[in-house]
Amino acid sequence: MPSGWWVRKRHYFLYMVREFTAVPLALWLLWLLIEIKRAGDGPAGYSPHSSTAFVVFSVICLAFSLYHSITFLRLSGVIIRIKLLDRQLPSMLITASMFAMWALASIVIAAVLIGFGR
Amino acid sequence: MAEKRITIKATRFDPDKDEKPHLQSYDIPFADESMVVLDALNHIKSYVDGSLSYRWSCRMGICGSCGMMVNGTPKLTCNAFLRDYWPRPVIVEPLNNFPVIRDLVIDMDGFMHKLKSVKPWIIRKQEIPLGAGAHRQLPAQIDEFRQFSECINCMLCYAACPVYGLNDEFLGPAAIALARRYNLDSRDQGLKERLPMLADAEGIWECSFVGECSVVCPKGVDPAKAIQQTKLDTTMRFVLPYGNRD
Repeated sequence: MPSGWWVRKRHYFLYMVREFTAVPLALWLLWLLIEIKRAGDGPAGYSPHSSTAFVVFSVICLAFSLYHSITFLRLSGVIIRIKLLDRQLPSMLITASMFAMWALASIVIAAVLIGFGR
Repeated sequence: MAEKRITIKATRFDPDKDEKPHLQSYDIPFADESMVVLDALNHIKSYVDGSLSYRWSCRMGICGSCGMMVNGTPKLTCNAFLRDYWPRPVIVEPLNNFPVIRDLVIDMDGFMHKLKSVKPWIIRKQEIPLGAGAHRQLPAQIDEFRQFSECINCMLCYAACPVYGLNDEFLGPAAIALARRYNLDSRDQGLKERLPMLADAEGIWECSFVGECSVVCPKGVDPAKAIQQTKLDTTMRFVLPYGNRD
């Protein structure tokens, strides 16, 4: 197989982007650990605003993270089979509920983080 | 009005004479809007170059014999209409990811072996006595696996799968969909016997859900769905208490 197999077709390219999203996410987590260490050195020495690079990188990683989550959740309807009253639930319903749970979890986590941050 | 014509570029490879495959161009009449790539190949073989080799049979999308790469996409040539490509040339190559025997003919022995390895037959712990008659099955029970039984073994999914392209030990979409067809069959009790082949590193777990297999499948089998559902089922089987196993 040619090494450029994944640039030939749009579907292959989007698949590789999806798989690639793990890399920026892993790098972001490492950088986050560094930022946490810096914050742990004392409030006087740390201010998030002085770390604009991390903020910019976070926004870029957010884009990758959203792509990762959306592609994953869209496929959940294909994978999960639930039988209710002898009939399969429609896959659209399963996908929609996955997105709804994702939104709910995001709101709860954001509320906790912002609440504790104040 | 001048007769409409179309150019077909087909791979030629004679292992006794050629070092590697090459494309040969044929200019043929495009007489009928209903013409498919297979019609073009048959015209070439009948009137232009009788040495062109390729497989075909039913010419109506049910036998699975005529799978080839048409302009880089795996297609059944009996289902690829020339009108969708005209006036650009149509490039016909042997199916990707398989060894080429000659021209457009590929070696499918590996594929046949994989199909057999998932034991695609009804396995019973205890056969029902002859006097009891045939197995009974409700339409709802058949609907459970009907989609996965539609496979015509055309191998387009293997040509489309980059994982199989990089590692031909991978069991592959059609074989796993076939295994799922039997695992979901209410008459079958052979899941445990198929597990060693399925739940293997070269089995379902080699799949990374590219999904191109389901895109190219001409019968709507959705082998990608079969594989991911098998992953979920085998994992749940591993995780859940003993009572859930047969």
